[in-house]
Amino acid sequence: MFSENDHATLVLMLKRVSTGDRAAFEEIYRRTSVKLFGVCLRILPVRQEAEDVLQEAYLSVWQKAGSFDAERGSAMTWLITLTRNRAIDRLRAKGRITTAPVELAVDVADPQPDAPSLIEASQDERRLAHCLGTLEGGDAVLIRTAFFSGSTYADLAERASLPLGTIKSRIRRALLKLRACLS
Amino acid sequence: MSAHMLPEDDELLAAELAFGLIDGAERDAAQARLIRDDAFAAAHARWQDYAAAMFHDAGEAPRPSVWTAIEARLPVNDDVRPAVSRATLRWWQAGTMAASAAALVLGVLVMQKPAQVIVRVPVGEAPTAPMVAVLTGKQGLVTVSFDSASGRMTSAANGLDLGDHAAELWVIPADGKPRSMGVMNASAPGWARVPQPAISALSAGVTLAVSVEPIGGSPTGLPTGPVILSGKMATTS
Repeated sequence: MFSENDHATLVLMLKRVSTGDRAAFEEIYRRTSVKLFGVCLRILPVRQEAEDVLQEAYLSVWQKAGSFDAERGSAMTWLITLTRNRAIDRLRAKGRITTAPVELAVDVADPQPDAPSLIEASQDERRLAHCLGTLEGGDAVLIRTAFFSGSTYADLAERASLPLGTIKSRIRRALLKLRACLS
Repeated sequence: MSAHMLPEDDELLAAELAFGLIDGAERDAAQARLIRDDAFAAAHARWQDYAAAMFHDAGEAPRPSVWTAIEARLPVNDDVRPAVSRATLRWWQAGTMAASAAALVLGVLVMQKPAQVIVRVPVGEAPTAPMVAVLTGKQGLVTVSFDSASGRMTSAANGLDLGDHAAELWVIPADGKPRSMGVMNASAPGWARVPQPAISALSAGVTLAVSVEPIGGSPTGLPTGPVILSGKMATTS
């Protein structure tokens, strides 16, 4: 869990990394590698691959720290997004964006996180899990599937054997519901 | 909130970009818009926070070799000697030893009363033996281990919450002048390379202390806030 203090430190350390400060870089790794390795593992469950991507992600942090803008978002979100994108790139590069059919019936149960796995979660994470839980089962599955497997609208339409427009309007409705629940 | 002032289609576009639902020209156009449209960028940042919150797992520690590999791939600069990767490897081995030694001390402490700590200081240890210290005082408990072969320390804090301040660690040798060992991570165990002036001051029997400092550490190079924890360094066998 990250406190305000941790966030402020991360912002400061990213600024230092952008000037080539290795100690600051090590500090960032120390503070964030556990969380970011979790991000890699969620997308690439094979450990070796997750570790490779974690390496690439931190090398990107080293190179791109200067492009982080604290005015435009949180440092932790920036790190998680960067790591997730590297992991999805890896899936895509290997042609492994899955094409397996996705089951979207309304009665499909969403594999919601169980309570124990949320004990360590931040308030934002718990709130999001709660709000995803308020969507119709199939909708939460769609959003999770898209996000964790790097599937776009077009990929999802193919996987669900549904017209693109149908998928699009269904997800957009779910996103609006999600926003209403979150705000 | 400005969130509600954005037209629904724009709000959705920001969400679609954050969740990776669009690609090709549509995605490129949305990305370009982030630069010139602040309200859109703000909505996108909010959706990115939501998307990042999908990763609710606490995570997992990667193997130490991951950091070694990252460090080896950083562009070489002047303070990196050719033997760096081997030295790093040694650090990890020694670090593990020191960490378990610290854990052992901590274990003993938990069983006994932690108010006053007397750590036995073995005499005649090899100079490269890891050193450990347990710091007690006003708030929480901090354990520090230092591997003199690599100049690195591991530290862990329990019950140390300084809000919007940082915990800075100092070594205070016989001359009484504090040398900074760096800012601690109060929320997770971690490691850091200790600055050279502090390394030279480290030996069995010296005092270590934690002071309350602004985020990023003392601006003056000397403690500016109150000292809340202290303890003595001891070598391990």
